[in-house]
Amino acid sequence: MSLRNIKIEMLAWFEDRLGLSGITKFLREKKVPQHRHSIWYYTGSAILLFFCIQVITGFMLVFYYKPTLEEANASVGRIMTEVPLGWIIRSVHSWAASFMIALVFVHLISIWLTKSYRKPREMTWMSGIFLMAVSLAFGFTGYLLPWDDLSLSATKVGTDIPRSIPVVGVWVTKLLRGGEDVTGDTLTRFFGIHVCILPVFIFILLAFHVYFIQKQGISLPLRAEVNKEEVKSLPFWPNFIYREVVVWLVLVGIIFSVAIFLPPSLEKEADLMAPAPEGVKPEWYFLFLFQTLKIFPPKILFIHGDTIAVFLMILAGILFFFLPLIDNKPVATKGKVITLMAYVFILYAVVMTVWSLW
Amino acid sequence: MKLKHSLFTRRQFLNGLLGGWLGALLVSFLYPVAKFIFPPYREPEEVILPLSNFKDMKPNSVRNFSWGTKPGIIKKTDDGTLQAFIAVCTHLDCNVTYLPEQRKFFCACHDGWYDENGINISGPPPKPLRQLLVVIEKENLILRKEGVK
Amino acid sequence: MRRKISILLCACFFIFSFTNFGFCQQVVPEGKSEITQVNKSSEKIVSSPKDIKERTNIYVFVAWMWLAIFVLLYIFRQKIKEVDRLYHLEFFKSDRK
Repeated sequence: MSLRNIKIEMLAWFEDRLGLSGITKFLREKKVPQHRHSIWYYTGSAILLFFCIQVITGFMLVFYYKPTLEEANASVGRIMTEVPLGWIIRSVHSWAASFMIALVFVHLISIWLTKSYRKPREMTWMSGIFLMAVSLAFGFTGYLLPWDDLSLSATKVGTDIPRSIPVVGVWVTKLLRGGEDVTGDTLTRFFGIHVCILPVFIFILLAFHVYFIQKQGISLPLRAEVNKEEVKSLPFWPNFIYREVVVWLVLVGIIFSVAIFLPPSLEKEADLMAPAPEGVKPEWYFLFLFQTLKIFPPKILFIHGDTIAVFLMILAGILFFFLPLIDNKPVATKGKVITLMAYVFILYAVVMTVWSLW
Repeated sequence: MKLKHSLFTRRQFLNGLLGGWLGALLVSFLYPVAKFIFPPYREPEEVILPLSNFKDMKPNSVRNFSWGTKPGIIKKTDDGTLQAFIAVCTHLDCNVTYLPEQRKFFCACHDGWYDENGINISGPPPKPLRQLLVVIEKENLILRKEGVK
Repeated sequence: MRRKISILLCACFFIFSFTNFGFCQQVVPEGKSEITQVNKSSEKIVSSPKDIKERTNIYVFVAWMWLAIFVLLYIFRQKIKEVDRLYHLEFFKSDRK
């Protein structure tokens, strides 16, 4: 009874009961178009890779992290100094978060520019926007957990922003903070959101997102579709998957090297009564929003500048969400304007981010 | 010796190489993960306590102390000497207590009994309680792991 | 014979990976100590390897990781060439009829 025979018999056992060969047949027949923009197809699975790294390192960190006001900072310190190789695990978790969100932005821009959200893929885009929101929420809630000076101040500012929305804003702030102010309750609440609530959301959204992609296939470039060009394609399994694994290997090498040679430090424990430290800022992916808020004057006519800024951000979010429905004529002038808007948005985000770091 | 047929095909060789190197890379990641998840257990070599806390003990009475993360019991015998035990039952790790009236250590989890010297006498405990060396140095009561000078 | 060689090679990979980090420690003597308390950090904690041994192990690990990645990239390149060739030959098409 050789190993190969054992493997064949095991697969046959599962096949009789689950009929998994349907899945492998589907994966073999699924085609991935090959053209000069195919490189962007790798961003989706790269995000998934980093998400898996976050889940695994998150599981490990949760063994030692204590989500209470008294112990949070010290427990992170303990992970970094006492637990064997804890500092690497924490560093990987911190860096993979940034890498994942960076890739989410790249993925979003690539879909926007290639207009892959056009019919019939509107819901894929919409589920993707929700996924992006959940990823940013992961970043926001995770940032508070070390409970140091900087993260406390950034959370105070971040949770205060919804307050500028009339009527409901105060309630949103209270919901996020677990009260009027940021306290130990906020920390525990953020921890619960970070490890229980958001993972549930992300798994559900991911299931929808991936299902839509499988159902509708990978989109073709607009020009190819319009001109009914013959586009070369590769089978997803095994040709495209092998290429994806190559990308994953390189990304894993990069993330571990960066995490080992540029690990984050831990600032001193937050003091709820102390004044805000200098240089308070959120994580890099919120900097452009942070700077936008800063440039708005305190009052425009009789309305608070903050309120207008938040409303504009919400409006932008809604427009983002409904982009496939707005851009329903991708080839026409409207479509070209929307493509230009993508470049304007990239420029705006980059300029604002750099400005906030000045 | 020349073989008539190859042992394996070029495809099998390549697949074997791929699986082997992937497996090796994964294992090299798993080892630090295992080290993280199973941190080394650190037990103290000795614990120093102020003698004044134990001077006024009556014979056949006990006081508690901490041996790292484990509870300890210091007992004063009838002739005035101090004995130190790690108050963890050798059966399944429950904390034991000393009953002065019966002059026995008792583990409530599974009805385990030890005599006044920590020797297991009844119930499931398989071994006596761990006893520590007691050394009195000036104003300090020093408790050391067995076998350490 | 083939199985023995493959088991030997696997064992070599395992030993190489394990010896990078020393063997699993069990009880590690702490030395003389009072009851330790959790220290509240009043200053910044910088991440770094504990000692020169850990630092060396980490450098070796990073070097090994990149070596393995480059070897795997080479093997995957061969695999990709193989499956692309099979696809262009339409090797699997008959299976689906």
